Amino acid sequence: MPGRQLLMTFPVTATSHTLADYRARGGYGTLDMVLRTMKPEQVTKEVAASGILGHGGAAFPAGRKWQVVHLDDGQPHYLCANADEGEPGTFKDRWILENAPHLLVESMAIAAYALQVRNAFVYIRGEFDLPYRRLAGAIDEAYDAGLLGPNILGTGFALDLVAHRGAGSYVCGEASGLLTSLEGRKGYPRNRPPRLTVRGLYQRPTVVNNVETLSNLAGIVAMGAEEFKKIGTAKSPGTQLVSISGHVNRPGVYELEFGYPVAKFIYEDCGGVLGGAKLKCIVPGGISTKVLTAPEIEPVTYDHASFQKAGSGLGSGGMIVIAEGTCMVRLLQVMLRFYHHESCGQCTPCREGMGWMHQIIDRIVGGDGRPGDIDRLIQISEANDGTTICGMGDAAGYATVGILAKYRDEFEYFVEHKRSRFDGRLEVPVHA
Amino acid sequence: MPEIFINGVAVEAREGATVLETALEHGFYIPYFCWHKNLSVAGNCRLCMVEVEAESGGWMDIACNMPATKGLRVLTDSDKVKARRKTMLELVLKNHPVDCGVCDKAGECMLQDYHYTYNGAPSVSTVPKVRATKFHELSKRILLDNERCVLCSRCVRFTREISKSHALGIVDRGDHSLVRCDELRSLDDDPYSDNVVDICPVGALLSRSFLYKSRVWYLDATPSVCPGCSRGCNVDLWHRKREWKLNALDPRHNACIERVTPRDNAEVNGPWICNTGRDLAKFLERPRALVPMQKGREADLTSAIAAARALIDAAKHPVALVSSWGSNEELAAFKAALGTRFRTIVKPDRLAEPGERIEDDILIRADKNPNTRAAVELFGDATVALDEGTDLVLVWGDGFDFARLPRHAKTILLCAFVAPENGHADVFFPVSVQSERAGHYTNFEGKVSAFSPCFPRPPKVVDAETLFGRLGTPVAARSGAAA
Repeated sequence: MPGRQLLMTFPVTATSHTLADYRARGGYGTLDMVLRTMKPEQVTKEVAASGILGHGGAAFPAGRKWQVVHLDDGQPHYLCANADEGEPGTFKDRWILENAPHLLVESMAIAAYALQVRNAFVYIRGEFDLPYRRLAGAIDEAYDAGLLGPNILGTGFALDLVAHRGAGSYVCGEASGLLTSLEGRKGYPRNRPPRLTVRGLYQRPTVVNNVETLSNLAGIVAMGAEEFKKIGTAKSPGTQLVSISGHVNRPGVYELEFGYPVAKFIYEDCGGVLGGAKLKCIVPGGISTKVLTAPEIEPVTYDHASFQKAGSGLGSGGMIVIAEGTCMVRLLQVMLRFYHHESCGQCTPCREGMGWMHQIIDRIVGGDGRPGDIDRLIQISEANDGTTICGMGDAAGYATVGILAKYRDEFEYFVEHKRSRFDGRLEVPVHA
Repeated sequence: MPEIFINGVAVEAREGATVLETALEHGFYIPYFCWHKNLSVAGNCRLCMVEVEAESGGWMDIACNMPATKGLRVLTDSDKVKARRKTMLELVLKNHPVDCGVCDKAGECMLQDYHYTYNGAPSVSTVPKVRATKFHELSKRILLDNERCVLCSRCVRFTREISKSHALGIVDRGDHSLVRCDELRSLDDDPYSDNVVDICPVGALLSRSFLYKSRVWYLDATPSVCPGCSRGCNVDLWHRKREWKLNALDPRHNACIERVTPRDNAEVNGPWICNTGRDLAKFLERPRALVPMQKGREADLTSAIAAARALIDAAKHPVALVSSWGSNEELAAFKAALGTRFRTIVKPDRLAEPGERIEDDILIRADKNPNTRAAVELFGDATVALDEGTDLVLVWGDGFDFARLPRHAKTILLCAFVAPENGHADVFFPVSVQSERAGHYTNFEGKVSAFSPCFPRPPKVVDAETLFGRLGTPVAARSGAAA
């Protein structure tokens, strides 16, 4: 495993997700300690001091998000775990939900204590069947064992945790769209201001955190912020679960300590590109991040600063490996079809722009590309940059511009010759 | 009162106001589709983007959701803003059919105006437009053209926040989103539904009664007051412009109410009216009584007045039933001329029709007459009751059940419309309707609203106000003569 581990610390067995196994690994000891010895403010302080960044994609400091919530404002607060993992290429939270659901439950109980939350929610992706059953089972076990409910561990702290299944919308993974959906309405994202930590679920202060971010909390509180900061880099402390897929020999979920070299991770830990083919590029963190070419990843280490320097981002930790010989035009077609399908249709640039881009790329792939099409794609991407309610429009634009900037010649070839430069060239055994 | 800077000009913003509101209040126009002063902020059209100047370099965001905080500096007209607007309009027009030639909204369409003001360029899209339903029957009164729709959600928010019928929503997503009726609720049950046609910034929502009836640039709006209930909503009566008079076809086209829209008055009705008000023509354009009559035989006005005066002078116990549709001026004229001569009772001219909403906490009032309050202030609120000793009844307006007329009583009748009783009255005067005269109504809260004439009065029809003056010598003059 690449670097030190915080989450994948146990062998996955048929029973490793159960309460008995989790307790045998020392589970719920931290919750017990927190409820008996710590004040809510102390927990928040510890989390803020740890410097942990959100693992959902935006990398916002979790502690700073929490500090916006005033414990004495006389309002109910809500906590929601974002388990609507829908970013293409990303399936890391799924590992937690399937194998360590109690880690999430315990961490959420700690977070709920810190934020003085009475009702917490897990908004889980509707397509996640096993993860949902494992999570629902864990919640049931926790209630039966007095780890959730009106009097947790006999301390008088009360918390109800509800797992809510989404209905299959990418945009509901955006925090405000998620809350709107949780309220029972169409999952349209909301305009900021107000921030969700000021007016979120049912117009009350709400903290929405990614599953992995929350799952780190038990560990952070147990070991203390100082110890936690020793893992990873100074600006990106801790670890990141990375789900790697595509043309790679050993796809799956890996836990990477921040600062680990990316090339080493792909070529050694994951066994390199399928069939020994050359690497063309990677999508570093879900398709909404800009692609990085094989030469570009050579000096990059797995942390936010290094990826930013390379002109991309860690995103949601869903890495896709793309082998030499892959047609980037068709790749972009798949991506734009996805964005078109998933645009919620609320605001103009994304609603009209995604369909437009999809139509243009379909036409190029269909052999009817025109000389102005590539520039039009860039213009539509720019029209979405910072103009939409949520980040989806921007994300689609970044992805498109990222690919067009690096592989424009492939698109021009396609437009001119009405066929891909890579027809028949991809020789990796995709379904070996 | 936070001070903000718009295009470098310092302006005082109201507490809690947004940048868009502040800009509009101070004469800086920012274009918008989805924002509406009476609805919540949706922020989905993205047209009101402004540039925020800051030392860190600044950014762009929508003005409708931007609080006007102290010291904020925004630009509404910079090159960046202009470019954004142009792009946004290109995107809006991407799937818009641009069928202005056959669209009822043309001439008062926000998209059309904005295109000419902020874009003006031919379409840059070369891909086919998304096809959607046209003439979708949203209700018995409203059609929806989904291709023209820009999905601003104003109509949806209206049914949720104002009329509270929750009848509309947006189904599906992306560029295939469609405004649709709720499966369990009907827009037909919403007595305010037609307001969505007004607030639609484009021609997506169409009034079926106005569909293809007239181009709006042939029409003029005359300020008026809806007589449908005691709210007295301020409305505009739309009718053909004089300079576009039709010489062929039916001449009635030149003097009919083409449509009725609300005239914004925050103190009375805001920018809304109910569907009853939209159908105001139903009240005012019933078949008209056009000539004075004496016992069913046509008479000239002078002899009819002489006959009426004789009846009034001879009567011992005369009763007058005054119209709660009379204007303040007419009611005052009656009081001055005949108030002491008659025992006067205020009569409700109209009662709720079957199926009509009686009352709600939005606009509709149970009293279906516009001026009851002013009439009651002048004449008291006695209920209509006629004892057998009554020997003369003056009935002004509709709504009196003539079966209740005492057997031997003579009648003077003032009515604007054809009715069987007109011919039985001893003296009958055809009077003018609201669209033929000026006046004021006082609504149930005491708010006075004015209406203006838009059509000429037919030749033998009289205004009740002048008629009362001629029927009775003013009380003051009489007592003055006695003194």
